[in-house]
Amino acid sequence: MVADMLSIPKQIYKTLSNLRTGIVLLLLVVIASALGTFILQRPTTDLQKMQAAYSPQTLRLLDRLTLTDIFHAWWFLSLLGLLSLSIVLVSIDRFPNSWRFYARPYRRTDSHFRAALPTKVELPVKDGAEAINAAQRALKKLRWPVERITDSGQTSLYAERHRFSVMAVYVIHASLLLIFAGGIIDGLFGYSGFLMLQPGQTGNVIATRTGENKALPFSIKCYAAGQENYADGSPRKWWSKLAVVQDGKEVQSKEIVVNDPLVYRGLRFYQASFGPTGKVDGLQVMATASGGAARELTLRMDTPAQLDPDTTVTLSQFIPDFFIRDNQVFKRSDDMVNPAFRLEVKKAGSGEAATQWLFPAYDKMSQGKDAGYHFEYREMKMGYFTGLEVSHEPGQWLVWAGCLLMGAGLFVAFYMVHMRLWIVAVPDSTGRLVLWIGGQSNKNKDRFQQKFDDVVEGIRAELGRALIAPRSAQQKEESAELTLVSAK
Amino acid sequence: MGTRARVVQMETPAATGGNALLILVGLGVAFLLITALLGAAKSAEPLYNESNLLYVALIFYAGAGALYMGFGVTGVTRYVKFASLATAIGFTANTLAVAHRWYLAGRPPFASIYEMLLSFVWTVAGLTLITEKKLGVKIIGSITMPLAVVCVILMQLLPSEVRPLVPALQSTWLHVHVTLAMLSYAACAVSFALAMMFLIKDHFPTETFLALTSALVSAIYVAVVATRFEKWGGLSVTAWDAKEKSDIFLGRGVRLFVTVPDLGWLFVMAAVAALVPLVFWLLARVRKNDLYYGLANKAVFIGVLLQTVVLAAFVVRVRDASYASPFQEGLYPTALAASPFILGGLVTGVFASLLYLMLLWRRSDLEALLPSADTLDRVTYKTICVAFPLLTGMIAAGAYWANRTWGSYWSWDPKETWAAITWLVYAGYLHMRVTRGWRGRRAAYFAILGFGVVIFTFLGVTYLLPGLHAYA
Repeated sequence: MVADMLSIPKQIYKTLSNLRTGIVLLLLVVIASALGTFILQRPTTDLQKMQAAYSPQTLRLLDRLTLTDIFHAWWFLSLLGLLSLSIVLVSIDRFPNSWRFYARPYRRTDSHFRAALPTKVELPVKDGAEAINAAQRALKKLRWPVERITDSGQTSLYAERHRFSVMAVYVIHASLLLIFAGGIIDGLFGYSGFLMLQPGQTGNVIATRTGENKALPFSIKCYAAGQENYADGSPRKWWSKLAVVQDGKEVQSKEIVVNDPLVYRGLRFYQASFGPTGKVDGLQVMATASGGAARELTLRMDTPAQLDPDTTVTLSQFIPDFFIRDNQVFKRSDDMVNPAFRLEVKKAGSGEAATQWLFPAYDKMSQGKDAGYHFEYREMKMGYFTGLEVSHEPGQWLVWAGCLLMGAGLFVAFYMVHMRLWIVAVPDSTGRLVLWIGGQSNKNKDRFQQKFDDVVEGIRAELGRALIAPRSAQQKEESAELTLVSAK
Repeated sequence: MGTRARVVQMETPAATGGNALLILVGLGVAFLLITALLGAAKSAEPLYNESNLLYVALIFYAGAGALYMGFGVTGVTRYVKFASLATAIGFTANTLAVAHRWYLAGRPPFASIYEMLLSFVWTVAGLTLITEKKLGVKIIGSITMPLAVVCVILMQLLPSEVRPLVPALQSTWLHVHVTLAMLSYAACAVSFALAMMFLIKDHFPTETFLALTSALVSAIYVAVVATRFEKWGGLSVTAWDAKEKSDIFLGRGVRLFVTVPDLGWLFVMAAVAALVPLVFWLLARVRKNDLYYGLANKAVFIGVLLQTVVLAAFVVRVRDASYASPFQEGLYPTALAASPFILGGLVTGVFASLLYLMLLWRRSDLEALLPSADTLDRVTYKTICVAFPLLTGMIAAGAYWANRTWGSYWSWDPKETWAAITWLVYAGYLHMRVTRGWRGRRAAYFAILGFGVVIFTFLGVTYLLPGLHAYA
């Protein structure tokens, strides 16, 4: 009774190192992941959509059950942790046997083994040593690495290929653990956010996914940004000319596009988007004085421009879509439909400013209180921002290393077959001397059968040659040398 | 002399019967080709263009599918040979279509669901030919050809203009990722077909095939009825703007539906007809009376006829007509392109039922054409051994590309998550086989389940679950 009871740690080890547990854990991960695709997840869905999809009660219930953020929930991460642990323990449990198999190959055969092995052929021969030599030549021709083994006066041959493939499964699982490790590191130490810059602007504060602002130890300056379109108007390319400013000096510059980020000190800046700020960057007008003198001006928001030594004009308001009621201008919407610009002309000395309005959709000329100047609308330049996605992923190198390792591991596991051949000259059941050829492979047995048949054919041919062809002087020497070795 | 005369006598009756379907299919193919040629000649467009070539491929794939079905009805082995030939011709036309599109667009066809289906069909047809020649499974086309036909029909309905690539898709990694995806999905499709063949050869009971086919067809019709049946018997379908070549939207993400009168009743009838064999099957098992199986099979046959009627009615009434909408005043047009999934479901239902009938009537002939169950089992495993590394590569390439474009290699996006689930399911298959020695039936079930997950990942996620992967 006492002998049957295992200590708790041993029981836990036994459960976790069991393949069935691994499969159950895998199944649970699959179900949880599937749930995470059917139920809207908070990190990737905006609030409005969530509230539109679920009633408040349902949403509260889902939140309580952590079903709205499954992939960061403690139980999901624990499942992944247990799965990793299970992989580690199963590997540790099975590794000693595999290592023994790998490190100490079974080179010599005994009669029981020879009787039990399914793939074997016996060729009757006259001279055991000759036959072994012939077999060795045949194997060499077929490019098998052959080993001669001598013990107690008997020589046998052992040939094998791709012994490493038995270790492939551990390589594959180790690579999986590498990938997980990379993911964990990124989960703990990585971060990502968004940086919006207008051309000419420098910024170093990014808005992270979790909502907080993070200051970077260096700044990014945007020199210019733009968008190129296809003939049908859809975006073709977004680009930004960026420079990294560290301690006041520019240390790196690059023009980035989507799919080609700027990398500096482990941080990557991706071209994510490009769009209008909705604000006016510059308004070009032709200012005509009552006297007749005209000049072109580019006005910036709230920046006074000099018309003459006494008068300044300032662009003080921009409305994308306006309407007039009771002689006042109001905003109807944010869509660029009916823009309106308010210009204030100030004469030095007089405290008041005269207001002129420009409604480019209706009339190119401005209207309003007479201020000694008229303005004709020329062009307006809207402000644009470039949206940069910023991310720091220290663990990604482990992930890529894991992927490459897994690729190699899968290749070895599926396409490299561990094959073994044993050849020994022994008397068969009737006492006749035969050359016993046996072979085994760990998978793909039908292809191995073909290879085995090729080997047997090759050995037969060599044996035939040895019998028929007269022994050349070199052959005599060879066999004499070899016989000498075996005699030892 | 006497024996020779006898041999000649015996051959003649079979040969006449054997030629009938060949002549029929040959005439049908020729007719369709000539009408297509005339139509193309009239339109003054160059003959050698992608949609014409695709249509030619469709004709030949359909011809191949018909010949496989014909074999199913008559048991004449010659049909299989000609079916293989038809597949090869269709594949050539398909290859030319792909080449033409590649040439026009200046890049391989990977950027929209239309192009993905084009690549997928090409890969499936190619793998069918390889499996037939190299692995000796001569009738694998009976499953893969209907699949190809369904896909090409879907393609005829999808927007097919060569659209320039949005910035996120302008990367070599696109080609790597999508190529791996197409190859792996096609390999999974072939493994599915092989697993089905295994079940056939392994004496999987025909009655269970009956239950499963009826369940699949019922599910399709019940799903359509449950979501689209309108009060008073109409069927609601999406409205279609022919000028814009897109669905008509009422608001953001909200489509406009119109009601096709009386079509709903037809679907209800078809749903009931699909459930009847299932009921009979249950009765046979509960009452332990095999006579019910006979009734069930008759019901399947009637069901197929009814399904064909429903399909025809759907096509005729939805193709080019306007109907009223319960949401907005006025008549709105609709088109087949607006309901690709209903159409796809109907065609799948018809094919599944026909394949079942083929199995019912010609099982022993089918089994004679298949290699041994053990070989099929091993070849299924080998196919998955090809599919699995490709799947792994696809996920890894996708992750690396996502990292370069969006700054994150894994964001638990539904498509990513389901790709991972697919990977885990096939990993499960390999584990069960290698470590637990699962062979035969259990391995076949797993392979079939795996392909179901692949279909969901490929099509279900795109259309049922929104996310970043909006391109395909």
